[in-house]
Amino acid sequence: MEPIILTSDLKKIYRIGKVEVPALRGVDLVVPEGEFVAVAGPSGCGKSTLLHVLGGLTAPTSGKVLVDGNDFSAMNDADRTRFRRHKIGFVFQRFNLLPTLTARNNIAIAQHIQGNGFNPHRFQAIVEMLGIQGKLNHRPYALSGGEQQRVAIARAVICEPKILLADEPTGNLDSENSQIVLNMLRGLNRSFRQTILMITHNPDAAALADRVLRMRDGRMLLD
Amino acid sequence: METKMVISNLLHRPTRTIISILAVAIEVGLVMLTVGMTTGMLSETARRVEGIGADIIVQPPGASFLMGFTPAPMPIKIGDLLEEKVEHVAHVLPVLILMNVGVGVNIVFGINREQFDAVTGGFVFHSGGWFTGPDDIIVDDLYAKAGHLKVGQKLTLFSHSFRITGIVEHGKGARLFIPLQTDEELNQTQDKASIFFVKCTDPGYTDDAISGIRQFLPTYPVRSMAEYTSLYSSNNLPALNTFIEALICIALTIGFLVIFLSMYTTITERTREIGILKSLGASKSYIMSLILREAATICVLGIAAGEVGTLGARRVLQSSFPTLAVRLTPHWMVYAAVLAMGGTVLGAVYPALRAASLDPVDALAYE
Repeated sequence: MEPIILTSDLKKIYRIGKVEVPALRGVDLVVPEGEFVAVAGPSGCGKSTLLHVLGGLTAPTSGKVLVDGNDFSAMNDADRTRFRRHKIGFVFQRFNLLPTLTARNNIAIAQHIQGNGFNPHRFQAIVEMLGIQGKLNHRPYALSGGEQQRVAIARAVICEPKILLADEPTGNLDSENSQIVLNMLRGLNRSFRQTILMITHNPDAAALADRVLRMRDGRMLLD
Repeated sequence: METKMVISNLLHRPTRTIISILAVAIEVGLVMLTVGMTTGMLSETARRVEGIGADIIVQPPGASFLMGFTPAPMPIKIGDLLEEKVEHVAHVLPVLILMNVGVGVNIVFGINREQFDAVTGGFVFHSGGWFTGPDDIIVDDLYAKAGHLKVGQKLTLFSHSFRITGIVEHGKGARLFIPLQTDEELNQTQDKASIFFVKCTDPGYTDDAISGIRQFLPTYPVRSMAEYTSLYSSNNLPALNTFIEALICIALTIGFLVIFLSMYTTITERTREIGILKSLGASKSYIMSLILREAATICVLGIAAGEVGTLGARRVLQSSFPTLAVRLTPHWMVYAAVLAMGGTVLGAVYPALRAASLDPVDALAYE
């Protein structure tokens, strides 16, 4: 079976003025569909950049990036945006909910942007699974960190993405809420065979994954 | 969903939203009031001239169609000649015009009662009556209302003290009427008229009478009343059109700048939110549409506020300054709205383009 994520000699170099800063220095990565992978490593090792490249938020400088069979290195910004809309879900450390919308609309907007219309059955199933039925009419400022992150997870998976990319999803949560969020990610992975690639500093969180990859200086140490 | 986002975003920053709406309202109001006052002044003057009831107007050679801007009065005997010699001419009303530049600009008609009555059918008096002496003056009801004037009161014009003998229904050429002889003295002239209002034996003979008058006075502008009143448009006053256009440009610039600034700060403030939308797969066109819709909503509310405000301002102006005519036409209401929307779209395009082209990674990292 073809892996859902395949990178080969993936490089990403940022240019700050005339200075080139290599963030990824040749990453080789293979993730089969349905796997829950954790990526760990010190700050500045390129974890977030890897996530951004795999999510199509930024283009690779060189190397191969195949996500669900699509070669990102051959896609322009509009193509990657379209791909992201249908195939990728993001969960961020800072939740990144839209502050002016209610929890319900924060979730529904993902379906709206995708353009396939509102799916009430999927919405209900996700909301129940994440235990946020009673919080749907609240705006983000009226939700706890754990609740906000659950809404963010609901938004990320409501459109049935092929891959869920989570950037330190427990980084802003206390241990109790961290555990709840991690259990939910694990549950999504098991119940829906959701492929998850999670960046984390937290060894407990990493331990929950099927496999832990370690990065240092823009390279994978172990795959 | 986009509508919900637009509304919630506007409500999230109520002060900015209200200021932006007010700016658009001022833009719309400025356009409508400027045009309304200029066209109102012209059409009201035209209506008053029409209200005299004459069929033909004769002016001296080289005279402006605007009454009061006539450089060389004509011999008054021309009027007698026309009455006697030209077929279908029933009555001629000679008027010597004076410009009163006091509180506002008013033209004063120097008239002779018999000739005035013959052509116009006479005044409708609200109070008082005709002149009884050389220092008497008749004012129309709007002028009287504006100046809180009553019959018997003194009114000083051209350093001359007049006694108000009558207050009449407005719409007979001027707002102020004095005896022709007094007018001549003030004008330091004798047996002269600035304009002749000619009444035909039947309005159907107007063209024939015009031909007859032109034979006697080949160099004099002779116009039917319809032709004359049609001259009262801004197209015949090039400077006025330039003035209107300049004010429209200023109004448009205000609207453009306020919307530009408002949407630009919105984009800067919401950089992170734009990054979130991009992470969800929102296209450039989706983000542009969101920003433009927000600007358009502000604009629509501003237009509504501006038009309602202008209608209110007209009421206030007309009750405070009864002689001021403000003409608000549906045509200009639509035109002002279109101008405001144009300015808004122009003002919002650059911020929208900037938002659409934000780098999602940078936007998500924005603090």
